[in-house]
Amino acid sequence: MALTHVQSVSQPSTLNEAWNEKASRGAAARFLGGGIDVVLFTPPSVDTLIDLSGLDLSGIADEDAGIEIGAMATMTDVMRSPLIGAYAGGFLERTLRQVASPLQRNLGTLGGTIASAHPWSDVIPALQVLDAELRLYAGESRSVSINEYLGDRAACCEAIIEAVILPSASKDRVSVYRFFTRTAFDISLLNVAVSARIEAGSWKDVRVSIGGRPGLAARQPAIEVQLEGAKPDDLDIDAVARSAADQVELRDDVRATADYRRELVAVLLKECLAELGGGGDGE
Amino acid sequence: MSEKPQFHVVGQNETKVDGIGLVTGRPKFVDDLQLPDTLCIKILGSPYAHARILSIDTTEAEAMPGVVLVLTHKNTPATRHTTAGQGYPEPSPYDARMFDTKVRFVGDRVAAVAAETEAIAMEALKRIRVEYEEMPAVLSMDEARAEGAPIIHDEEDATGIYDASKNIVADVDIDVGDVVQGFAESDVVVEMTCETQYAQHTPIETHLVLSYMDSDERIVLRTSTQVPFHVRRIVAFTLGIPMHRIRVIKPRVGGGFGTKQEVLLEDIPALVTLRTGRPALLHLTRAEEFTSARTRHPMRVRVKLGAKNDGRLHAIEMEGTSNTGAYGAHGLTVLANTGSKTLPLYNKAPNAHFYGQAVYTNLAVPGAYRGYGATQGYFPLEMAMDELAERLRMDPIELRQKNHIRLGETSPIFEKLGEGREGVSQTVKSCELEQCIQIGAERIGWAEKRGKKVRNGAWAHGVGMSIMMQGSGIPEIDMAAATIKMNEDGSFNLLIGATDIGTGSDTILAQMAAEVLGVPLEMMIVTSSDTDMTPFDVGAYASSTTYVSGNAVVKAAKQVREQIAAVASELLDCKAEDVALQDASAVGPDGKAVSLERVCQRAMYEADQFQIAATASFVPSESPPPFLANFAEVAVNTETGRVKVLHYVAAIDCGVAIHPKQAEGQVEGSIVNGLGYALHEEMILSSRGRVRNPSLFDYKIPGAMDIPKMEVHLVDSYEPTGPMGAKSVGEIGINGPIPTIANAIYDAVGVRLYETPFTPERVLAAIQARERT
Amino acid sequence: MNLTLTMNGATKTFEAAPGETLLELLRREGYVGVKSGCGTGDCGACAVLMDGRAVNSCLLLAVRADGTSITTVEGLAQDGGLHPLQQAFLDAGAVQCGYCTPGMLMSAMDLLLRNPSPSVEEINEAISGNLCRCTGYVKQVEAIQQAAERMRSGGHE
Repeated sequence: MALTHVQSVSQPSTLNEAWNEKASRGAAARFLGGGIDVVLFTPPSVDTLIDLSGLDLSGIADEDAGIEIGAMATMTDVMRSPLIGAYAGGFLERTLRQVASPLQRNLGTLGGTIASAHPWSDVIPALQVLDAELRLYAGESRSVSINEYLGDRAACCEAIIEAVILPSASKDRVSVYRFFTRTAFDISLLNVAVSARIEAGSWKDVRVSIGGRPGLAARQPAIEVQLEGAKPDDLDIDAVARSAADQVELRDDVRATADYRRELVAVLLKECLAELGGGGDGE
Repeated sequence: MSEKPQFHVVGQNETKVDGIGLVTGRPKFVDDLQLPDTLCIKILGSPYAHARILSIDTTEAEAMPGVVLVLTHKNTPATRHTTAGQGYPEPSPYDARMFDTKVRFVGDRVAAVAAETEAIAMEALKRIRVEYEEMPAVLSMDEARAEGAPIIHDEEDATGIYDASKNIVADVDIDVGDVVQGFAESDVVVEMTCETQYAQHTPIETHLVLSYMDSDERIVLRTSTQVPFHVRRIVAFTLGIPMHRIRVIKPRVGGGFGTKQEVLLEDIPALVTLRTGRPALLHLTRAEEFTSARTRHPMRVRVKLGAKNDGRLHAIEMEGTSNTGAYGAHGLTVLANTGSKTLPLYNKAPNAHFYGQAVYTNLAVPGAYRGYGATQGYFPLEMAMDELAERLRMDPIELRQKNHIRLGETSPIFEKLGEGREGVSQTVKSCELEQCIQIGAERIGWAEKRGKKVRNGAWAHGVGMSIMMQGSGIPEIDMAAATIKMNEDGSFNLLIGATDIGTGSDTILAQMAAEVLGVPLEMMIVTSSDTDMTPFDVGAYASSTTYVSGNAVVKAAKQVREQIAAVASELLDCKAEDVALQDASAVGPDGKAVSLERVCQRAMYEADQFQIAATASFVPSESPPPFLANFAEVAVNTETGRVKVLHYVAAIDCGVAIHPKQAEGQVEGSIVNGLGYALHEEMILSSRGRVRNPSLFDYKIPGAMDIPKMEVHLVDSYEPTGPMGAKSVGEIGINGPIPTIANAIYDAVGVRLYETPFTPERVLAAIQARERT
Repeated sequence: MNLTLTMNGATKTFEAAPGETLLELLRREGYVGVKSGCGTGDCGACAVLMDGRAVNSCLLLAVRADGTSITTVEGLAQDGGLHPLQQAFLDAGAVQCGYCTPGMLMSAMDLLLRNPSPSVEEINEAISGNLCRCTGYVKQVEAIQQAAERMRSGGHE
């Protein structure tokens, strides 16, 4: 049996119920989202799963603050939502296309993929460059930026992700994404997401996130500063990409060396910047 | 080419005889048979690459509720045997023991637990206390033969090892003429050394065996195997039980490709069932499939070619060093095949030398894998041919055409080098390689694209080609047999030992029998691969099934046809030799016909009753090679090193294609497997000999979005010694991608790659190295 | 735990252990057409339809199937005949060993339920999570195209 140590799966009907149960069971309990990472990575010390599917967290709606995606929406749900298709030029939809396989996208949830925070995640860099926020529940609801969530894993990973919010302020961002895999159904050896607002031909509020380093996707403030205010025509994209590659923290792992990843950073960033300069209209 | 007869069933794309059950999910595979009280078996694998087992304490594990039996070296037979599924006497060393007192690779057998549930078995494994004495491990071919290297097989009762003290499993050395002289006489000499990686078959169904006692207390092994008869023999030998107390049944197999040409697991469930009386299932997890099943032989192969200025090869030398892992199964034969299936292709060279060794290492164990050494050999051979062509300022195709074997020709290599021992002399009786080359060149656009250095941004385009041959069975060694019996409704039972592992052999052999007997395919009921019910067949390997098993089927069918004709002649009042079988009838010379039903009714019930039936056997006296020409167009990204295969054309001469779509399917599947092997499949080993990526998550095989535009052309051909003119098609396709893509990469970016897989990282490093010079 | 779900069109109740996957449950209950190839969601051999969407049953906890509609390969055939997809797989020569076939059929069903005229790219993407080692995918893609065409003209679902 896949999870021999799991003795019970509880099915709370409110966030409060779910939260209290986790609080009382501690490390012996784990939240069950889409379930992929639960099946793959649950240690034998966990004997209780707390199923979040009864909490009505799978809706996708256009709210004042932005588009609210319930954490239990599957990646397929998100991809097929017209609201998502219209947001930031369909950037999130295009990015989700790269994740795993259709079979896994039909099962995996947006909240689950963020909570797992896999270093190769294609979703996290995309959300980072959109300034996405998360509504968390830990007894009560609060909003944090995705960066805060990922930066403060200890505090945040106990919380339930209720929703992912794509801010209205980012809806006109031009965003591009590039990734490199060995085969099509593979995790990224490296990925790069870039977005900016275009104001009078210049890039404003530039966001750059690089993942699969093999470390977790991280914003690159030094590169963002270099690109802030830049006009694409005046930019030596090759040089910027090359020098940026030297600034990113990279490591060897079983899939690629740090040196090769450095080459990829330069190439993928160059492609992102070229596409951004061309209006970022997709593939 | 001989006059090709007109066929009615052969050559048609009939629905596979097992197809409906497969598309509707009927229970057809090993563990689709679910018996009550089946024990679950789990194996404890070694954490060390090389260690002595000083002690094993199983008391705690045995005491666990639900644990029924624990096996270790202390309570199992010590018989040294080989796991290689080969004909007896097997050309592989007897160096394996069911459970040894020593472990020789990470994942090697230490103990096994049979328990009521998988969870209990897994828990029990943890409670087996093993004391190991770790020993220095041999982690590469070079380390294996170095002075003072640890001796991996130091046991006294192993046999068949060439020189165990030096970790050498096998040594091969054959020559024709004098290559030293030959190179001296050559105008141009090229030489290169290539290395291939640890790769794996990754059948989607891992290895598994269900054993149970039948109602006569015989052991039945329902196993996912390519070699049911070898399983029976080797299990009986290993366990010291009479062979007639064992029955081996092969149901549907979820992919083999060579890894199931091995008696990998069957001894364990057989012994569990023998001792407990209960059914037992042993099913490898995917991780265990990677670490403890079988792999490709990593090899280092050096090729040296000497030619005259006019392009004629004058001397060929091939040296192979093969890493055969912790056990020597298939070590000798894969090594020998590296030369025996490659060098005869260029038979014009009067001087040739093939030599090499297969060595032990303390690493994952290679075994049989589609291509079987030829895959590794064609890599440097076909690259060296391209380099030779460049030095001679000749088109690579023209160089091949000047040198490849032709109809009516032979090669001294056929006789000198077989599967491990001497081979068998033969003449090529069908060869459409020229047609293959022409079709391939035209379809890829060779003349328009070769040498054009087309650039598309960072993408550099190029085209490459290669040619190859393989074999069809092992001459004078392989044997296949078939029994056909008739039923009174005009149908027939076809009983064949031949082993369908998804290759469609049940279907094509039925097509052959149906053709001879003049009936539609549905009148042929196939039972295969059951050691109680079907006659002997060596099994599915060496591309033998179509040719060897097919010839046995045709022979048996002809004998049955004669019997039918004799009975029909009484009904038709004519001479037996004037009766023809067609449209499920026996037809006399005047056109009068009787149905086969009528014939069988007479034979079964009415007069001089007898069962219309025959058993026939076939041993081939030659191994007619299929021929293949591969052409590929690639685009190489000079910034990332990514190699995209845009277009792949394979033109193949497999003789008559008994079932064209299945033949195409064999080529398509083997090419895609070969593409993975060429571009991104690699088992990565740690510095302690552990497989670091034992999962499909990290060992990437091609998926639907990775395949190029592919064309497979079955060229019109007819092999006079083949059943219905057929040869074989199962293996040859996988040999194509590595050299073809290597040659295309060279055309695109001017770099030669000598190490597979051609990962983006390796390709980029080679491009950058070239730019620096 | 007690589960009630629609199984190939019929209401069924099952007992499931809390930590059991749907794959384990289905095979235990005799739906042996659902295959196990890796247990980690990497090969797709275990794919079934859940509420019309193809999912890896090896990654789905059985309890999650409660209240859903599950279709396995055993439930594809209609009115005693083969589903056009099954027939097309046979006709196109797309079945070799057959082990990946059930999962492949499920992914193809998911696609054709939503998209009756898929392009080759869309077909490749739909089956990108189903690994096959025998066929090289060529004839499977042809089969799905053929099935789509027959379903468009024959009106089958």
